Amino acid sequence: MTFKKLSLVSVLFVCQFALAQNDSIRTLEVVEISDVQLKNYSNSQSVQKLNDSIINKNQSSLTSLLNYNTVIYFKENGLGMVSSPSFRGTTAQQTAVIWNGININSQLNGQTDFNTLTTRNFDNITVRAGGGSSIYGSSAIGGSIHLNNNLSFRNHFDNQVRLSYGSFNTFGGHYKIDVSDGKFAVQASISRNSSDNDYDYLDTDKKNENGQFYNTSINVVAGYKLNDSNILKIYSQVFDSERHFSGSLGFVSKTKYQDVNTRNMLEWTGLYSKFTSKFKVAFISENYKYFEDAEGTFFTHGKTESAIAKYDLAFNLNEEISVNSIFEYNRTKGFGSDIQEEVREIGSGTLLFKLLVSDAFLYELSVRKELTNNYKSPVLFSLGTNLKVTSFYNLKFNASRNFRIPTFNDLYWRGSGNPELNPETSYQAEIGNDFTFENFTFSATGYYIKIDNMLRWSPESGSLWTPNNVAKVKTYGVEGYLNWNKNFGKNNFDFNASYAYTISNDEKLDKRLIYVPYHKLTSSASYSFGDFTAYYQYLFNGEVFTSSDNAYTLDGYSVSNIGINYTFFKSVDIGFEALNIYNENYQSTLNRPLPGRNFNMNLTFKF
Amino acid sequence: MKFCKLFLVALTGAVFFVSCNSDDDNAPELPLGAYDNGFLVLNQGNFGSSNSNVSYISNDFATHQNGIFNIVNPTITMGDTGQDIGFNEDLAFIVLNVSNSIQVVNRYTFEHVATINAGLSNPRYIAFANGKGYVTNWGNATVATDDFVAVLDLASYAVTATIPVVEGPERIIEANNILYVAHHGGYGYGNSVSVISTSSNTVTSTIQVADVPNSLDVEDGFLYVLCGGKEAWTNDETTGALYQINLNGNHATTYNFPTGNHPANLVIEDNKIYYTVDSDIFMKTINAELPTQPLFSTTAQGVYGVYSFAVENNKIYVGDAGDYNSNGKVYVYSMTGSMQNQFTVGVIPAGIYFND
Repeated sequence: MTFKKLSLVSVLFVCQFALAQNDSIRTLEVVEISDVQLKNYSNSQSVQKLNDSIINKNQSSLTSLLNYNTVIYFKENGLGMVSSPSFRGTTAQQTAVIWNGININSQLNGQTDFNTLTTRNFDNITVRAGGGSSIYGSSAIGGSIHLNNNLSFRNHFDNQVRLSYGSFNTFGGHYKIDVSDGKFAVQASISRNSSDNDYDYLDTDKKNENGQFYNTSINVVAGYKLNDSNILKIYSQVFDSERHFSGSLGFVSKTKYQDVNTRNMLEWTGLYSKFTSKFKVAFISENYKYFEDAEGTFFTHGKTESAIAKYDLAFNLNEEISVNSIFEYNRTKGFGSDIQEEVREIGSGTLLFKLLVSDAFLYELSVRKELTNNYKSPVLFSLGTNLKVTSFYNLKFNASRNFRIPTFNDLYWRGSGNPELNPETSYQAEIGNDFTFENFTFSATGYYIKIDNMLRWSPESGSLWTPNNVAKVKTYGVEGYLNWNKNFGKNNFDFNASYAYTISNDEKLDKRLIYVPYHKLTSSASYSFGDFTAYYQYLFNGEVFTSSDNAYTLDGYSVSNIGINYTFFKSVDIGFEALNIYNENYQSTLNRPLPGRNFNMNLTFKF
Repeated sequence: MKFCKLFLVALTGAVFFVSCNSDDDNAPELPLGAYDNGFLVLNQGNFGSSNSNVSYISNDFATHQNGIFNIVNPTITMGDTGQDIGFNEDLAFIVLNVSNSIQVVNRYTFEHVATINAGLSNPRYIAFANGKGYVTNWGNATVATDDFVAVLDLASYAVTATIPVVEGPERIIEANNILYVAHHGGYGYGNSVSVISTSSNTVTSTIQVADVPNSLDVEDGFLYVLCGGKEAWTNDETTGALYQINLNGNHATTYNFPTGNHPANLVIEDNKIYYTVDSDIFMKTINAELPTQPLFSTTAQGVYGVYSFAVENNKIYVGDAGDYNSNGKVYVYSMTGSMQNQFTVGVIPAGIYFND
């Protein structure tokens, strides 16, 4: 991996609309990626793309990648356990995860567990901050995380094997093949991660008992060019994991949890002069089993199966005007030991419009309406502009209305679900400033989000808990990203930083939301000389409240990691990493310590 | 060079936040030394968060301290999901459900004496008889056949024997060296009381009662058992009942509650029977019929389900769990229901214990 590649991908802000005007690039994108709106209709928001070289420099969980490289805050119930994000001060259900254009947040609990996604299965992972419901549907309030596989039709044959081993008997194995003859293209990968995860709780005589886990994922993307204007593609992923849920400082757990998630999508792309059509059929399932006693045979379980049909027609009248319509039908069936068996059907129509008024100014508009008998569906919209003020300064503005729909658990939990629930809805606005100099990019975004009808579970009478649309939340703040890189002969320097200041306020209680820090800072510095690279990562999460009356807090913490890499013969890469080098005793969730200083090494072969 | 400046800002920013964070701690609270002549409130804490703790409030209400276990024993995490406190001589036994442990402390100083970690499985409530401790255990909540009462040696603090019982043993009370265990139910719903001989440590008989016996008391030769019945949301609602059982025989007087009433929190004090239904406090004279009107209601304080309850020293004490995530409250009422004092205690006040 050369440093030039590295510096290219580490440019945090993609100057999108320069690309959007280039037709050959646009066509290539349409062929390679499924989530076209991410490129074409995200010009007025903050978009951060993490490419494979960044993915490879981080641990394999999506939690770790995003925690160390973005403004998104995470809390983990111990390393590798359930992991919940808070993006721009919102709840875990208000961040959407989009797999190749399809929303994969759990239909059962509304969120994605970021420790059930292996980053190495994707070519790039893009963080799109702010409202996105008008394009991506439920949960895109704080923002959306896009997991993309790019299928390349250029003639090539590449293989990669990556092995890693580290403290606590932590193993990572990954193999990927990427091949195309120009007409037929396949990218397939298999990943396996496992760990005994029995780290010591610092400053105590306890350790993280019953925390062992493994996961295996298989990913296949295949495409076939029927002719110059028709392409068929299949995206397929299976993720299988078993985690023993670790205890805490106050108890030893004996539970375990199994996840099996499958995602399959067939896509037919048609390119016809000014029209691009994509027809997609997807089948997505999630399935969990929870064993209160890991040794026992009794478990509770839940499962959903979703069938999705999506038609996406884009029309480019000329270089200035683009129109895109999307029709989607989603049928989800949920069942399990704790929910009533129910089927939910949702139809939606989306219209997107973009106008390049001049080389320096564009605006984009999207509107979505869903039809379902399940809940009252508001009209969702997004309106944004991007103005190139000077050669080095872009000013962005976006306002949107977004929502988070009630989940199967909220609606149909046996005895306590509330079928009358409506979506949580938000109005939000943001202003972004992007500065681009020769070696240096900087962006600062201020945002304001007002969320109504927030769902809260509370006891009604006796021991019955039930959810209602009762809470109101206001969240606002600023976030900034910084990148600098420079070459001096064979020496290359790269520096990235992100910072977020967040105020997230429950309007009824007039208290801060729990597990939202005021401050989060990440930074990374990397130096390379020829085939040698060394890097340093730093993460600071500020103090958080752990109770809704803000009576209890959990201290902030700083964690630093270092790593070195050396590449032999352009094809063999060996790396060492030391994580939490200052042996910080820290918790991201109350009384659940995270590991002290630990080490790992990795070996990558490319052929 | 601009970059240098920004880099500095980023770095100094980090230092600033760290230092901000570390200097806002107040001076640590000091132990009071004596936690008698008052009552303890066991704050259950949140499942899995290990934030259970104990509050102390003096009988004259002048002294109040939260988190006393941590204040006295700062290096020990008390545990997860405090369920019950039992007193035996100078010791308090704090039963921690999720931790599968009991913290033994001096009941007056709260200094840690021992931790019982072995032999408990989903422990619930504790009683003492015949020089031993007896702790009800659900075992694995999803297995109906592994429930037991653990016998605790009070010299070695070890579980020395187990007495198998039917599913869901909850409250336990001693009378004349005989133990009565209410089978509230684990995952399911129980409807019996086991009678245990402490000389043989075996179940000698079983008393059938209505569904969900949730509280017990003994007074003047009678055992009182309050059954809540199954709630409406179970889709199999049953009615509650109060049993008055002669300890010398099994003759029982039964008082049936009307449909939709699910009583809990039985306390007998000065020949009066007290219990709660949702937010209402009821008082029944012994041998009288069930009252139709509550003594008073706690709705003015926003209590939507009395979480813990006590009657002592001519006062009525109500623990309110609030939103189950914030600090709870203890309200103190006169015997006629006028609110006299309130205290903010820890998360989910689950029990009130007088420590005189």
